[in-house]
Amino acid sequence: MKGGRHLALLSIALLIPACNGGTVDQHALDNDSESIDSLACEGALLAHQVVDGATTEPFTRVHAGELATRASNFEDALSQRPTTPGIESAVRKEAEKAGRVAELLHQLEANDADSAAELKARLEQEGDCA
Amino acid sequence: MKIFQIALGILAAIGGFVDIGDLVFNVSAGATFGYELLWVVVVGVVGIIVYSEMCGRVAAISEKAVFDAVRERVGFSAGLTTLIAAQIVNLMTLAAEVGGLAICLRLLSGLPYRWLILVAIIAIALVVWTVSFDWIERIFGYGGLCLLVFAVAAVKLHPDWGAVAHGFVPHINTNDPVLYLYFAVGLLGAAMTPYEVYFYSSGAIEEGWTAKDLTINRANAMIGYGLGGVLSFTLMITGGALFLAEGIEPETLGTIAMGAQVPLGTAGLILALVGILFAVGGASIDTLFAGAYNLAQFMGWEWGRYRSNAGAPRFTLTWLVLLVLALGIVMTGVDPVMLTEYAVIFSVVALPLTYLPILLVANDKAYMGTHANGRLANVLGIAYFVIILAVSLAAIPLMILTNVGQS
Repeated sequence: MKGGRHLALLSIALLIPACNGGTVDQHALDNDSESIDSLACEGALLAHQVVDGATTEPFTRVHAGELATRASNFEDALSQRPTTPGIESAVRKEAEKAGRVAELLHQLEANDADSAAELKARLEQEGDCA
Repeated sequence: MKIFQIALGILAAIGGFVDIGDLVFNVSAGATFGYELLWVVVVGVVGIIVYSEMCGRVAAISEKAVFDAVRERVGFSAGLTTLIAAQIVNLMTLAAEVGGLAICLRLLSGLPYRWLILVAIIAIALVVWTVSFDWIERIFGYGGLCLLVFAVAAVKLHPDWGAVAHGFVPHINTNDPVLYLYFAVGLLGAAMTPYEVYFYSSGAIEEGWTAKDLTINRANAMIGYGLGGVLSFTLMITGGALFLAEGIEPETLGTIAMGAQVPLGTAGLILALVGILFAVGGASIDTLFAGAYNLAQFMGWEWGRYRSNAGAPRFTLTWLVLLVLALGIVMTGVDPVMLTEYAVIFSVVALPLTYLPILLVANDKAYMGTHANGRLANVLGIAYFVIILAVSLAAIPLMILTNVGQS
């Protein structure tokens, strides 16, 4: 019985980090913001490879699509989840940014060298990349 | 002929050293802390060398693989606990490797992920069913050598070599010590993952090692794993020189491949993807075998690829069942990279249960005669066991505190 209780507590403890549906506080917002910037910067780097012809069509399509899905997930989560008082507008703004990044990444899936240069510039701007 | 055999073994060990856990943790550690955790890789690689040499020696002299030793030395109850823990971690790792294999195929071909999971599972089953043990080791070990592209990439990215050298000096990052420790634990777990010793010791018996093969054992363990560790360094250096500088958190296998694409172009990308394909493909087979070996050895069944599939029916059935279970897990849509992180951290918890019986048997003169552990092997073995114990106690709390390395 005691062993079962320990197992239940351990299971709950292990599930907590996996949950992503609670209230957004400043710490969570900072983390999500960093992750969205990371997706944008990675997209910019991939766009750069498209411009240089240093990639393959399947890789660009699949990888840009994967990054876009992740950005969309952030958009959904940040636009719907409750927030702690005082940061709601910042959270919703971040959701809009995640949506824009997702859209740019979807465009990158086409692996079109002509549009990739502009996508790179816009993604760098969104992600405030180095 | 012997030198040739050693060279082949070493090449296979280098190519077979890196699996999805090493890929994920080394590149992520580099992208988060630069080169600061290189010293942990050294600690982990020396640890796997010490215990692989030990369990290879035990297998060659006593003809007992790890789970034979577990059953005989720690008793049924503790042995069963070890078996259950090992099988859970093995299955998680197998599912992560299969998922990684499918992702890699998708990045190469652009075909749908779920279909490629099926392709990956069927390919693994066919290879295991039809190809001999020696050739499985060679094909995946040599194919994994494509990962050496990351060594070229690391150099081409022009890292700060002074900072790289400083990374080999043990220290703690004071800015975010908890996250730093989480990565340290993950890197140790990825380097010393239990399935490697299960596979290594059972493989020694598959290949019929005797006392005459102790030189091959030592060379494979020391040079093969040692040079395999160099691959881990290059992954971390790539992470530090490229992704940290660009503000990118690598969370997908595609990102890891970009580590070779950015400095080396399309050729670098393709070599990286092929290398990852063989590395995770080989690791899928290693974990699959490890799971079947463990159960068969614990239950006292006939086992081994040197027998025909019909000659070891319960062993064959076990790996088939494990493959189906892995298929079920990956088909749920779970992210293989996230699953890898959980598998590595849980494997750390199971490490002491795996390594203690090896240490005990390697010290037992009744089994080992004059080949029992010497003073150096014992000092290193005990020191590593203490490290493993401490790390296994810290693993779960660190995973929770850092939200699985997120913050």
